Amino acid sequence: MELNPIITVNDLHFSYPKRNVLEGIDFSLNRGEVVSLLGPNGCGKSTLIRLILKLIRPKKGEIWLENKTLYRYSHREIAKHIAYIPQYHNVPFNYSVLEMVMMGRVSKSSFFATPSANDRASAFASLERIGIADLADRAFGQLSGGQKQMVLLARALTQEVNTFIMDEPVSGLDYGNQIRLLKLIADLAAQGYTFLKTTHYPDHALMVSSRVVVMNNGKIIADGKPHEVITSPMIREVYGINADLITYNANTWCIPTFSKGVL
Amino acid sequence: MINIKNIGIVGGSLTLLLLVTIVSLLWGQYPIDFNTFMGYIEFKCFGGVGNDTYTLLDNIILQIRLPRVLLAILIGAALAVSGAAFQAMFVNPLVSPGILGVLAGASFGAALGMLISEQWYIVQILAFVFGFVAVGVAVLIGGMVTNSRSTVMLVLGGVISSSLFTALLSVIKYVADPYSTLPAIVYWLMGSLTMADLHSVLLVSIPILFSIFGMIALSKYFDLLSLGDEEAKALGVNVPMVRFAAIILATLASSLSVVMAGMIGWVGLIIPHIIRMAVGPAHRLLIPLSAIVGAIFLLLADSVSRLALSVEIPIGILTSLIGIPVFIIVLKNARAAWN
Repeated sequence: MELNPIITVNDLHFSYPKRNVLEGIDFSLNRGEVVSLLGPNGCGKSTLIRLILKLIRPKKGEIWLENKTLYRYSHREIAKHIAYIPQYHNVPFNYSVLEMVMMGRVSKSSFFATPSANDRASAFASLERIGIADLADRAFGQLSGGQKQMVLLARALTQEVNTFIMDEPVSGLDYGNQIRLLKLIADLAAQGYTFLKTTHYPDHALMVSSRVVVMNNGKIIADGKPHEVITSPMIREVYGINADLITYNANTWCIPTFSKGVL
Repeated sequence: MINIKNIGIVGGSLTLLLLVTIVSLLWGQYPIDFNTFMGYIEFKCFGGVGNDTYTLLDNIILQIRLPRVLLAILIGAALAVSGAAFQAMFVNPLVSPGILGVLAGASFGAALGMLISEQWYIVQILAFVFGFVAVGVAVLIGGMVTNSRSTVMLVLGGVISSSLFTALLSVIKYVADPYSTLPAIVYWLMGSLTMADLHSVLLVSIPILFSIFGMIALSKYFDLLSLGDEEAKALGVNVPMVRFAAIILATLASSLSVVMAGMIGWVGLIIPHIIRMAVGPAHRLLIPLSAIVGAIFLLLADSVSRLALSVEIPIGILTSLIGIPVFIIVLKNARAAWN
């Protein structure tokens, strides 16, 4: 298959005053992929995502979006290529779900335009696609974590882009909602959307990814097919625990093994 | 979006504003009845046979009441919209032009202007400059301890900034001529709409209306900024530009209100809360509605200040007396509206 990179990152370095966060990252996200970024806390996953969204500037290195360097794009133009889905969070004002979703349309309307009937229809359509149209008039702040995360995904859909970046999308969700969200990602991926998501769970990476990238201490230490990358030695190296990889019904699962000690 | 309900709400409140405006023009030490007023309007619009009553009405309405009523509308709108904009910009329910120190900074700037210059535009420029410096001080202090968005720290920063400029203002009062400049400064600071003449009101209406309509134009971005800077950027908003423009416009509007009528507190804090409780937090409705309701509130407050007692109560004192209990009630419900 010919690779069709949407985002290309070359030799990317980033540091805070007292700490190097990224030390030479080479990475690309290709059209149609579902890439899971795996790694321990503080390994630089979120930093890489923020760099790709132009929220922070690298110390050194290049980022390309399609065929131009990222810094030639305004935030508005980036929002026409990539939708960012943050972890669900509280919003200080009590917006309705529909209002929240319609905020995804801002990059598509002219500067002074008020939201059009078209924007409203798009927001409704996105809610319907996710299966939460019944929440449209509810207050966002009163939803459960799982519902909030779904709303943020619906908002990304209204941006009408093909590439989604998600920062730990299942964090804070209960088990059922975690699985439901992963299923949604898998369904959308099957419809041709491209995903880059960070995750703390090797299992989730095994379940819903076409490629897994493992980061540790600011470097990419593995990049490849999920079952090739996620191995017992990798888990031991990155997380410092023992785990077995078990294949059952053609799916691979990562099982921590207490009996061998947790190191 | 053409939303019938929103148009109805805005149209309804505009109608109410018009009614309150007419009532304010009629009320006063010399009451004018409605029929006389309509006759006068007809005479002004279509001409006809004038009489002594109309000459008197020219005096009362055009020279005395109209400038004052227009100024109340402008300032009420300016303060309420600025408050709503500041609350959105700093994602903080507890800020307003008063609490961020803008009013104190602008008062100091204007008093300094009165001290050093006779020129009205110098007074206005200094009021704006120091209003802006005061917000800057509040934000700097608010961000000094934590880099995170801290509601309480920003309020504390504003309190410190306010005290600083109030202290500097005292210095100006201390050195001001106790027989001429000092009383002028003191009475003006208590808040008064009496000094308005039609010419200066029309002149100041240009920058104030520019600020208000500017903030209305930016209002859809206020919603996005409340999600946090990074999320707003990722959704395609030019965050620094919107925030800078909104802070400049809100500071301009509230500083000019200080120049025209002294320190009028609480309007900028309570009106946005009341509107948010009534119609929800979407700023494209919240901002214009704050303008209209702010105008109505100040018009009514001014009417009370003129008529309640035989002497006029300074309107700044009155808005505080009304504002504080209202805010206590609002605060209880505001917690729900703000999650």
